[in-house]
Amino acid sequence: MKINYLLPNKYKTLGWILFVLGIITGIFLFFSDYESNILTINVLTIYNEAFLFSEQSGFFKIIENSILDELAALAIIIGGLLVGFTKEKVEDEFIYKLRKDSLVWAIIFNYAVLIFTILFIYNFTFFDVLVFNMFTPLVFFIFRFNFLKHKSLNYEE
Amino acid sequence: MKNSIKVQRAIHDMTQADLAEAIGVSRQTINAMEKNKYVPSTVLALKIARLFKKSVEDIFTLEDE
Repeated sequence: MKINYLLPNKYKTLGWILFVLGIITGIFLFFSDYESNILTINVLTIYNEAFLFSEQSGFFKIIENSILDELAALAIIIGGLLVGFTKEKVEDEFIYKLRKDSLVWAIIFNYAVLIFTILFIYNFTFFDVLVFNMFTPLVFFIFRFNFLKHKSLNYEE
Repeated sequence: MKNSIKVQRAIHDMTQADLAEAIGVSRQTINAMEKNKYVPSTVLALKIARLFKKSVEDIFTLEDE
């Protein structure tokens, strides 16, 4: 069977390292209210709306920004994609089916949670929901896939 | 669909891991098939039958609903 979209297994370890580092950094940023000044550098922005310095508003401006949150987000997303979409050591049709089933489950579960939070979380607290929701589809998918993989190893003999 | 993979495995004195390695699939796949939780592709069914030197119908049979 021809299997598409999957990278070689050797990238999985790198994926896990990025994913875990990204999540740890993300949790640190969350509890510091995204106000860290670590790694502040000049960055190019395609469009910026500044509150105080009007000369920084507009298209294609160079602004100062702490890039720790950007790095954390990229690490979670790239790491998560590598973990989820690299081949297993033994990749076959059943593992591929588990992966697809986990994806369907993760999307449905993610949007069920999102519907619940839209109904019951308001104002600035909902900003946290939006931030988490950037990553939860991948996180739920990875959890579900690994859970199913381990569950289908249990056997009675 | 039922299958007699577990019986065939016992006859040939193979563990799930042995069988998985022999036909190049994961142990999860063998386990899921034996528990009737996964219906293998035609290719995989043919490979298993060939390994046990049986016809596919000897190993995989339809169940009455």
